[in-house]
Amino acid sequence: MDNTLAPPASRRVVVGIQEPQDFDAPELPTEPLPLNMGPSHPAMHGTVRMVLEVEGEKISSADVQIGYLHRCFEKESEFATWTQVFPYTDRLNYVSPMLNNVGYAMAVEKLMGITALIPERAQYIRVLVGEISRITDHMTCLGASAMELGAFTPFLYMLKAREWLFELLEEVCGARLTVSYLRIGGCAWDLPVAFADKLRNILDRTKGVLEDVAKLLDRNRIFRDRLDGIGIITQADCLQYGITGPVGRSTGLAYDVRKDAPYLVYDRFDFDVPVGSVGDNFDRYAVRVEEIKQSMRILEQALEQLPAGEFMLNDPRIALPPKSETYNSIEAMIAHFKLIMDGIHVPAGEVYSYTEAGNGELGFYLVSDGTGRPWKCRVRPPCFAAVSILPELLKGVFIADIVPTFGLMNMIGGECDR
Amino acid sequence: MSAGTIPTPGGGAVGAPPVETVTVTIDGKTQQVAKGTNLLEACNAAGANVPFFCYHPGLSSPAVCRQCLVDVKGQAKPVPSCYTPVADKMEVMTASPKVLDVRRQMLEFTLVNHPIDCPICDKAGECLLQKHYFDWDGKLARNDGIKVKKAKVVDLGPTIVLDQERCILCTRCIRVCDEVAGVHQLEMSKRGDHELLGTAPGHKLDNPYSLNTVDVCPVGALTSKDFRFAMRAWELYATPSVCAGCATGCNIDIHSSRGRIYRLVPRVNERVNKHWMCDEGRLTYKAVHAERLAAPMSDGGAVEWDRALEDATRRLRTVIDQGPGRLGVVFNATSPNEDLYALAKLSFEHLGVGRAYLAGRDQGWSDQILVSGDKNPNTAGAFAIGAGRLKTLLDLANDLKAGALGALLVVGTEGVLVGDTASAAMPLDRLEALVVLSTHKNAVTKAAHVALPLAGWAELDGTFTNKLGMVQRAHAAFPPAGDALPGWDVLSHLARKLGATMDFQTAKAVFAEASAKLPFMKGAVWGRAVRPLQLRFANSRG
Repeated sequence: MDNTLAPPASRRVVVGIQEPQDFDAPELPTEPLPLNMGPSHPAMHGTVRMVLEVEGEKISSADVQIGYLHRCFEKESEFATWTQVFPYTDRLNYVSPMLNNVGYAMAVEKLMGITALIPERAQYIRVLVGEISRITDHMTCLGASAMELGAFTPFLYMLKAREWLFELLEEVCGARLTVSYLRIGGCAWDLPVAFADKLRNILDRTKGVLEDVAKLLDRNRIFRDRLDGIGIITQADCLQYGITGPVGRSTGLAYDVRKDAPYLVYDRFDFDVPVGSVGDNFDRYAVRVEEIKQSMRILEQALEQLPAGEFMLNDPRIALPPKSETYNSIEAMIAHFKLIMDGIHVPAGEVYSYTEAGNGELGFYLVSDGTGRPWKCRVRPPCFAAVSILPELLKGVFIADIVPTFGLMNMIGGECDR
Repeated sequence: MSAGTIPTPGGGAVGAPPVETVTVTIDGKTQQVAKGTNLLEACNAAGANVPFFCYHPGLSSPAVCRQCLVDVKGQAKPVPSCYTPVADKMEVMTASPKVLDVRRQMLEFTLVNHPIDCPICDKAGECLLQKHYFDWDGKLARNDGIKVKKAKVVDLGPTIVLDQERCILCTRCIRVCDEVAGVHQLEMSKRGDHELLGTAPGHKLDNPYSLNTVDVCPVGALTSKDFRFAMRAWELYATPSVCAGCATGCNIDIHSSRGRIYRLVPRVNERVNKHWMCDEGRLTYKAVHAERLAAPMSDGGAVEWDRALEDATRRLRTVIDQGPGRLGVVFNATSPNEDLYALAKLSFEHLGVGRAYLAGRDQGWSDQILVSGDKNPNTAGAFAIGAGRLKTLLDLANDLKAGALGALLVVGTEGVLVGDTASAAMPLDRLEALVVLSTHKNAVTKAAHVALPLAGWAELDGTFTNKLGMVQRAHAAFPPAGDALPGWDVLSHLARKLGATMDFQTAKAVFAEASAKLPFMKGAVWGRAVRPLQLRFANSRG
């Protein structure tokens, strides 16, 4: 089927830079002015510094400096057991922590060769919490980007809906952001009572919010003027820079790990991969809006199909035994002790495992030396690739264009800087 | 000797008899193994991972735990590998389904009566039963029968407490007493799951090697009264070192946490102490922390290093300027080679000292096993570095009485003038300058004009020479107490102030110079720096 978003007829496609026509004093000489944007700036999505060189309002070069949120995630992981890495992954892309949990858990399971053994219910739960997180991720990105362009109301609407979803996630795992809900072999515990009803209810209300936001933004002249034709990326750029996710799809590159290398139970759902045609800021906006809708489709189907059963692999070498067993049998006591103190023994080897996170292909490259701790835990953060094109993309645009362009790249410091 | 045999290391030319070998196939890999090798050792040397409880590389094998069963082709039943010597053309399977099954069943039997003690057990974290269960069993309990009740706290003697419920009846402790200490003090009584470890009525486990039973105990049945409940094993950091308790120089690991030693355990060295060490040596760690001299003292008050060194220099200088022979130095047989070398260099090369003495701890008891009567860790090094120039403490007392000395530089106060009577015998008050480097506060530092704090043996990187003449390396487990510094460092500072051209920056530099000059250190290797390894990860990696 054709899942291309056709650009509206009214859409202005501007290539290159429009010089202001009524420039008062064209003969006035300008000289390059260095200008610092960030690392702490209200219009920047995260802690990132851009050293700009501007000629008038026009940017002649942009030096995007990342790393302000570097927390030694990868090195830190080498000193934690395989299970203790989960809380660290929460803090990678911190607007969709569940998706990081999914990516990491699946990487370790692939290395252990137990991917096929994960209970079906656990796989559905992972899809559910993951897609909820994708919605919150996109809503944060879109809402914040709109706000930075002056549209405060859509931001509040989006965050209202995001809050409903966060509250539901809080019911699932006890935290909004620091979820640490998944485990190697399944989930920490089962879904709460009446999860399905609550989620359906929230999805219904969220659809209303999306309609409201669409009414406010989609035909809004101010909003469209700031997005259309700005920051155009081509498919060739994406391939060159390794850009995936909504940014990549905005160029028409229909790459989605859930479709192209289905994992968990994604091959059982009917959903589309929306792509753009121009690769500008508006396409990135539109692709994200559509992805929220597709995630909702997946959620509804997953709720329909959600099977009963175990939520965790039943193996005392991987899963903590039940407390009653731990207190009353030496076998479970030892298993509990060893899992906590030594960690799960992952066979020696290396693995690259990739999933579709909020910003694109989230990859984990793990190396094990057969002990309870990772020998190496490398992350491929999707927004790192997207941010790396920014210096080229910002060359020649106006200072004001940085805000929507950077905003819709959705750089998440926790993930990009690790 | 057939083609393809393994040559002995350095054999042939030396004329060592060639080792007779047999061909064994272990898990499909055929290899040559020395004849008479124990099958368990052959398997594990070949890369297999055969678990065991009762086997210990330093002891005989009774094959009581049945945990090391392996499949040998042609044998109807699995055989205990620790009890089976390799035979020619033997084909062994260490991980066949049958072997894995019996291994798991043996563990299940062992666990049936094992108490649920891990949270309160001293051995948790370094327990073989935990390790083997997690590696080889991996199944939850299938029965919830009542476990056999036994005594939880049995006082076996001055050093050991036994928990009979935890005991898995491997008899390693019995064999340690029999084969290492040479006394039969422990014994099994009763049978089946009522079998008990214990001593004969009215007898105690009190041999001088009793704490080795705690090391070899695969579970937490035997616990050291000294270490019991003091610290969780996985919180400790291990640093390789050498015991400073006597001239044997047993290789040890210092187990410490946050600058405090919790226990000393033997480190395997087949040429010195094999797998063992004596109880007396194990408890020497207590002295490391007691009554330390933590700050430099001048005229009885704590001062900064600079001030103390200046005071020391001024006092020594006055006497040196009076003429030769008025300055004496006291070496110590407990100091590492580096301190002794730095002191010898300063004294004999730069200051021209004519009167040098050697102090050290008094002689003590000894046996034919490990304990040496010489209670100093570096007597051999001190004699070699002193090269005949060192006189005794008796000579020192006589020289002091005769008024031959104006100043005395003491490096290490162990064994110098203990107690008031000895001080009275040594008229230290006649000295114009008494400069003392000491690890601990004692009568000598009290009498000193200037007392400088020294790093203790557990706090320094250095080498000790044992009674066999082996130069052995000790690593610093943690930084020195208070402001203390290693002896060579203090002496370098002092030398600079005295105008001598001795300037060592690291212990390694002292060692390098000493080993190049001194024949007894020829060929000794400093080795690479070792970082304390947390025991939690000791079985995985550093």
